[in-house]
Amino acid sequence: MAADLLRSLLRRPAGMISACLLLLLYGAALFAPFLSPTIPSAQDLSRTYHPPTALVWQNGHLGVRLYRLVDPSTATYEPLQDQTAPLHWFSHGPAYKFFWLIPSTRHLFTVSSPATIYLLGSDATGRDVFTRLLYGAGISLSIGLIGVALTSFLGLTIGGLAGYLGGWPDTLAMRLTEFLMAVPGLYLLLALRAALSSRFPSDATFLLIVVILSALGWAGTARVVRGLVLSLRERPFILAANVIGQRPWTILFRHLLPNTFSYLIVAATLSVPGYILGEAALSFLGLGIQEPSSSWGLMLGQAQDIKIFMLNFWWLLTPGLAIILTVIAFNLLGDALRDAVDPRFRLPGK
Amino acid sequence: MAQPIFPIALCALLLLSACSPPPKISRQTHPLPAGVDTARSEIGRSGGVFIDSSPGEPSTFNPLVSEDATSGGFIGLFLDSLVHNNAVTQEVEPGLAARWDIAPDNRTFTFHLRPGVLWSDGHPFSADDVLFTFQAIYDPRFPNRAAFDLSVDGQKFKVEKIDDLTVRLTTPQIYAPFLETVGGVGLLPKHELEPAFRDGTLLKSWNVSVAQKEPQRLLATGAFRLRSYQPAERIVFEANPHYWRADAQGVRLPYVDFLVTKLVKDANASTLAFATGQTDAEGLSPDNVAWIDRYASRYGFSVFNRGPSPNTGFIWFNQNPGHDTAGKPFVTPYKLAWFTDRRFRQAISHGIDRQGLVRGVLFGRGQPLWGPETPANKKWYNPNVTQYPFDPARSRALLAEAGFQIGPDQKLHDRHGNLVEFTLNSNQENQLRVNMATAFKENMRDLGITVNLSFLDFGTLVGKIQDSYDYEAGMLGLTGGGDPAGGISVFSSKGRLHQWYPNQKTPATPWEARIDQLMSDQLHTLDYPTRKKYFDEVQKIMSDESPYIYLVTANAYVGLKDRWKNIRIPPLGSLVWNLDELWTPLLTP
Repeated sequence: MAADLLRSLLRRPAGMISACLLLLLYGAALFAPFLSPTIPSAQDLSRTYHPPTALVWQNGHLGVRLYRLVDPSTATYEPLQDQTAPLHWFSHGPAYKFFWLIPSTRHLFTVSSPATIYLLGSDATGRDVFTRLLYGAGISLSIGLIGVALTSFLGLTIGGLAGYLGGWPDTLAMRLTEFLMAVPGLYLLLALRAALSSRFPSDATFLLIVVILSALGWAGTARVVRGLVLSLRERPFILAANVIGQRPWTILFRHLLPNTFSYLIVAATLSVPGYILGEAALSFLGLGIQEPSSSWGLMLGQAQDIKIFMLNFWWLLTPGLAIILTVIAFNLLGDALRDAVDPRFRLPGK
Repeated sequence: MAQPIFPIALCALLLLSACSPPPKISRQTHPLPAGVDTARSEIGRSGGVFIDSSPGEPSTFNPLVSEDATSGGFIGLFLDSLVHNNAVTQEVEPGLAARWDIAPDNRTFTFHLRPGVLWSDGHPFSADDVLFTFQAIYDPRFPNRAAFDLSVDGQKFKVEKIDDLTVRLTTPQIYAPFLETVGGVGLLPKHELEPAFRDGTLLKSWNVSVAQKEPQRLLATGAFRLRSYQPAERIVFEANPHYWRADAQGVRLPYVDFLVTKLVKDANASTLAFATGQTDAEGLSPDNVAWIDRYASRYGFSVFNRGPSPNTGFIWFNQNPGHDTAGKPFVTPYKLAWFTDRRFRQAISHGIDRQGLVRGVLFGRGQPLWGPETPANKKWYNPNVTQYPFDPARSRALLAEAGFQIGPDQKLHDRHGNLVEFTLNSNQENQLRVNMATAFKENMRDLGITVNLSFLDFGTLVGKIQDSYDYEAGMLGLTGGGDPAGGISVFSSKGRLHQWYPNQKTPATPWEARIDQLMSDQLHTLDYPTRKKYFDEVQKIMSDESPYIYLVTANAYVGLKDRWKNIRIPPLGSLVWNLDELWTPLLTP
């Protein structure tokens, strides 16, 4: 089935490009400490709101142009003529832990101090926006995946059981989903976040947000899965399984739930952007990820100051671009997947 | 008498004013009062509309109810007081009282009211109004903030009427900020508000609903009276035809016909309204000055640097040795030992790169701060406090002296081997503060100290600081300026805002006892040099002991349209405090 899916996806260019883009983004997030020239908390108060540094080819090396602060009151920098610092590849820089385990000091590229490289400029305290964008991607992108995994699991289990068992478990589960769906999500989220905020340290808020988002989000999945299971359970192959005396649990987990996977894959892909946007919205409102951690929503929230627009610090808006790209990519991929699986819900072996 | 034009006609007029000259507005004319005050400023021309904007809505127009600066600002436009505080000289000047005598006991003040002053409805202003105001403030049926300010150790002032134009106030003890405090009390019209006073509904009168439906009932003695109020749109004040000041040629002030305040969504919108030429005046934050300046010539305004603002920013450690009802200490005991060690606090102070904060976060528009008053408070600022320039080597030396050591993990440990780590709480609404907190974290990392940051909403943070005390360090700001008496709740160890250890029964340390003594002494003498000497010592002790580790103070900026004359920008307080003297040769904006 997976091979079929991949083959039909390959025939759809939009889906293909989206899949590649997402792979690239997730790869960048995974290797963020290695790809970024520094660490996200490294500040330089003498280089705040630094524009993106230009890369130049000089003496057979790729180098980075040096800048001079012309006017501190407007954060105006001008490039120094013919002054560059060479890029060092695979060189040593600030220490980090690879995959949170292996300590390392290797970075893909760095420049020697006192020169700095700001591929996407620097922020209000002179931190590298490119580095923060990469580290922020880890949080913003994984929130989608973890959230979807949680909701799919909850939705599949509760919806599957409700549909298969019927009777009072069904009633209970469905009333619960109706209740959850009737609750205005954003407001509940805000209230929960505010009520819990003082009890959790800054790093635990990340997990908290995912859990809150998925605790609210599983209801829709559960209802659809229940509907699918309800219709599947009257199909001849299930009746046959019943007749040959298979146990209910085996029927549920071997025959019923696998047949809802194709729906789940599409639904999961299409709901990832919801989580990414949810995190961005919360962080934007100051209720999500907090300093000094980094996330796209937080970075965007910090860029809503009017001076950012008026002084044209455009590089601070790149997290917005990243969010847009990711959301579009997920939607296109979801569409392509739906086209691939939609014509008929294939049964195994057919 | 001219028929007042309707507010709708007025806004149409504002919209059209850009293209055609506005029709001449004729004002009611009344004879000047016998006790008229003649302004010493340049002689101007009547007419014009002054437009500004406010990101906040007034919550009331009743001075007994008002607790926020926005409402207080609007009330100050139409309700005048016995004396004024001159914002530029920081001296007390005559207001509705033309002069006053201070008896040799330094407790009895006799105020001589201006003869012939009328309320905006034409009713005479007299000593009865002063008595009525104090009666209302002291009445336990109407709890209000002024009652607290106008008492010494819980005892009220004695208020007596000598005759229709003479009032005598007696304080129970010598009370140094007496005149400044009285200068902040807007006097209420007895003939208008007495029925509400009698039936106990005084706190409900002059609310926002009255202001919308019957603005003429908000009687004025100030330069302006309320003309209309539309929530979320605008507040329009017009010149008070009975105002008691005039210029040297006998032309009644204020010069401007109307004062229009646009009510906008937030500070960003307010700044933008000024930058695009829609308003006449605006207070600007240092990070916005650069781009606003680019529009100066297009819209004909100038940006003025008022110098350092009176706002202080600081970090402090919780030094409260108490414990909660369950017996759990507010601060882990070994951490409390660090926080109460002066050398630890001084080491932290030396480790903060304040110049870097000014340069990076404030765009170079500010200065390091070492004590509780900023240079903005010219009258009380003590420049000779102990300074803690950025010096990590000095920090390390102080920490070593206090028994701290860098461990093999390159982190700082105390003499018992505990890792030096604390959580700094601040509020998330203020982006400049968030930036400073992250910079502080980096500075501390260089010393081997781990700082965790926790940003809470302001209400939760205040709850931690003032009620539950379960925090390690905090970062906030206070607005300084004005008389030292305003800082008693901060400096005195009994004070509610003595944040590192509030509401102490007896002073925890000798230096806190000394501050308590000085704050009490300065309150009970009227002699300025003596008070200054006492308050200078308070500032010196605060910097020596560093219970508050002061950070930086931003410069304050104002933008003003060039068409306005008689502008005098004070270092403190409202930027257009002399609105009645402003005039413009160009009637069209």
